Amino acid sequence: MAGFWVNMGPQHPMTHGLWNMRVKIDGETIVDAEPEIGYLHRGYEKIMEVREFQKNVVLTDRLCYVSSITWSHAYCLAVEKMMGIEVPPRGQWIRVVSLEIQRLASHLMWLAAFAPDLGLLTGLLWALRERELFLDLLQLLTGARMNQNFPRIGGVRNDLPPDFDKYCKKIVTHFRKKLDEYEALMHSSKIFLMRTQGVGRISAADAINWGVTGPNLRACGVDVDFRRKEPYETYDEVDFEPQVWRGGDGGDSYARFVCRFNEMRESCKILLEALAKTPKGPYRAKAPRRAEGEGFARTEDSRGEALFYVIGDGDDRPYRVKIRSPVFCTMAATPIMLRGNKMADVVAILGSVDVCVGEMDK
Amino acid sequence: MAVDWQLAAFLILSALEVAGSILVVTSKKLVHAAFWLAMTLVTIGGIYLILLSEFVFLIQILVYAGAVPVLFVFGIMLTRRKIMEEVTPPERTETATVPGKEGNP
Amino acid sequence: MSGHLVAPNLFELCRVLIGGILGILSDAIKGAAPPGSPVEGLRGLGDAILAPWLIDLSAWLIAITIMVTWAAAVMLLTFMWIERKTYSRLQDRYGIMISVWSLPFWPFSWWAKRRNKPTHKGLGWLQNVADGVKLLQKENITPAKADSPMFHTAPVLIASSTILIFAALPFSEGFLIADVPLSLLFILAAFSLAPLGILIAGWASNNKYTLIGGMRAAAQLMAYEIPLLLAVIALLFYSGTLNVIDIVGAQEVALLTIGPLSIPAWNIFSIPQFLGFIVFFVAIIAEMERIPFDIPEAEAELVEGWLTEYSGMRFGLVFGFKWLRAIAGSALIVILYFGGWSGPVWYTANLSVGGAVVPIPIIPHEVWFLLKLVLLFLVFVWISWSVPRVRIDQILNIGWKRLIPLALLALILAAVFAAFAPLPAGIR
Repeated sequence: MAGFWVNMGPQHPMTHGLWNMRVKIDGETIVDAEPEIGYLHRGYEKIMEVREFQKNVVLTDRLCYVSSITWSHAYCLAVEKMMGIEVPPRGQWIRVVSLEIQRLASHLMWLAAFAPDLGLLTGLLWALRERELFLDLLQLLTGARMNQNFPRIGGVRNDLPPDFDKYCKKIVTHFRKKLDEYEALMHSSKIFLMRTQGVGRISAADAINWGVTGPNLRACGVDVDFRRKEPYETYDEVDFEPQVWRGGDGGDSYARFVCRFNEMRESCKILLEALAKTPKGPYRAKAPRRAEGEGFARTEDSRGEALFYVIGDGDDRPYRVKIRSPVFCTMAATPIMLRGNKMADVVAILGSVDVCVGEMDK
Repeated sequence: MAVDWQLAAFLILSALEVAGSILVVTSKKLVHAAFWLAMTLVTIGGIYLILLSEFVFLIQILVYAGAVPVLFVFGIMLTRRKIMEEVTPPERTETATVPGKEGNP
Repeated sequence: MSGHLVAPNLFELCRVLIGGILGILSDAIKGAAPPGSPVEGLRGLGDAILAPWLIDLSAWLIAITIMVTWAAAVMLLTFMWIERKTYSRLQDRYGIMISVWSLPFWPFSWWAKRRNKPTHKGLGWLQNVADGVKLLQKENITPAKADSPMFHTAPVLIASSTILIFAALPFSEGFLIADVPLSLLFILAAFSLAPLGILIAGWASNNKYTLIGGMRAAAQLMAYEIPLLLAVIALLFYSGTLNVIDIVGAQEVALLTIGPLSIPAWNIFSIPQFLGFIVFFVAIIAEMERIPFDIPEAEAELVEGWLTEYSGMRFGLVFGFKWLRAIAGSALIVILYFGGWSGPVWYTANLSVGGAVVPIPIIPHEVWFLLKLVLLFLVFVWISWSVPRVRIDQILNIGWKRLIPLALLALILAAVFAAFAPLPAGIR
């Protein structure tokens, strides 16, 4: 029997962000799927060509507005490689601190979106309550909760505020207790396991072929974390463990959920360690105004591999900026995850994949 | 003026039931027919009530108004492709709506 | 009066009330038309309004109005408020907090302005009233190609079948509309009328999604009616009667007396009935369409499921009556398994009314019933807001493959217990 196409979106209460997912259903089973993206395309790569290097940080913040610092930082890394400047150690450590706080805030936003997809409306409010703590930390550090404009080419915008490590310690201690509460709410709920285990499976080979990266790839059992594989900043001096699903049957929504969830614990560890190890000294190096060359930087964004390729031609603006977004590639792989599942699983699968439309559409 | 309430009730319920059964057979839309069927069966139950068999009346409601029309509507919905526009074509002479007759759009 | 405040019967109480009012009216008419006056014919009117059929009819109308107002206005609003406050607190926020000083008419507006009272530091009970008023003044939109007669009939079916439950559902021995011999079956039959209305509502909206939602809802409700009824049959082995008042009466005797305390013979304390309780509990959550079984109304995929296309008060009725069904479901569980309205009553000093001496109970049966109802409802709210939603095929799986065997087991156990281990005489 032929199926018919159903549009889930672009106006849909639970597709987070503005995109459309067309699924072809036969009864209750999904036969095919086709994501339609581009509703949020803002022409970033072109706009960045007409702004000076430093002013582009304001734009890269808004690529993935939930996880701003990681994107601006990737851009700054690429430009620094192009200009050949070196960030002082204190700047690198402060960058690590801000990145991990931002990663925590981003993962909490994902959790706050994933839980109500499954019907657990309490999870929305609990995760957002915890996210407020980290947004407070970010405000203390950078002056803004979101879209902070914090990384600079050559370092960071400002130094750590006084007593910052005390605040971080307090919040992390509180947060670790809350993570245990979340585990009680989600990991041990039989209904949650019923909804996520075995659902939305993608094999490791498929994931690698389609370019899936980040927690989605680690959930399939592939140990690829760019903070370990190609360490940038001072990640090689920090002791943490990339969360890889080491069970047998990975690649389903539950594995993705667990990997991202445990990454939050690891981020707490990295945060405290980085605060303890930050040396004294300058936090920003002077960057030249004009530059010529090519710079290429690959970082582990909250959602996967974020890649910037910047070409300068001697002007004070980039000649070309190329952005590689992890969600763009993962979105291409979602039809594989969706095929064979029931329609009620669409939101569960897409929620576990952590879509951020801003970076997908650029 | 001694009104025989039993007779009056019986007449009203029978009239409703006969009207309902005629509507079942003459409805153009199948879901309407299922709805009128439910009404017919409920009024038959009402007649059981006049005859003082409350148990049979309640079982009639439970089964025939709660389950059977739902079954019919499920059957209609699962076997027709274009459920929104099923109308018996007016040029047919028979008055019964028969599902699956070719010529339906 | 044996413990219930509304005695002996709501109807009798209304009849006394109406008789009194009509008597005063009749005396007034007769007083205004003394025998020798030109309007002597009015004396006949004064006698006519005391006709028994008129008094009975008015008493019935007043009783029904009181019951419907109590159930569909007071209880509905209060239970909606309880749910909204409870789940807000579970979510670590305050919840609805509108206070009585926000009412836009005298005396509240005047006093609030004079004393500069805050409008949102109150209990929040009025929020549901405000929501109802908001829904009343919204436009009733009918979708373009919707099947208009069915679209308008479906909410009527759902709402009327839900209110019909309260014709036979008692809040105590006296606070009821009708004491029919088969009231339990009546309540269950009224419960089972809803799937038809939901299915028609989903179909008549001319919307692919509501159709899917309606079919899912009907499938779920019908799947879970079977374990519900099987658990009730298991109960019948013990109670031997389908009359709700007798079922509760049988649970009022003491099972075990330890000193001054006596544990009443609630049905939940017996093993097969405990199994039946578990089955009934899960089945009634599915019948009430609450999370974890609310896929038909799942906001995640289908906005509001089968009632997406309804707006205005049509939506308000159907949406609000979900809570009425929740009240009815909780009331059923309290009656069948938790001893209904039974509880220690304690009488206070007597009150003489019109020559008779009448003992007034403190903590009457109505209060016990409401207390148990609220506690059970809180359990439902707690479960609903701490677990995710179950997928529809998993819901049907649970209903058909897990609950029905359990219910059959309870049935067999109940039959065995009733045959070989009959309860002592006096406890039925």
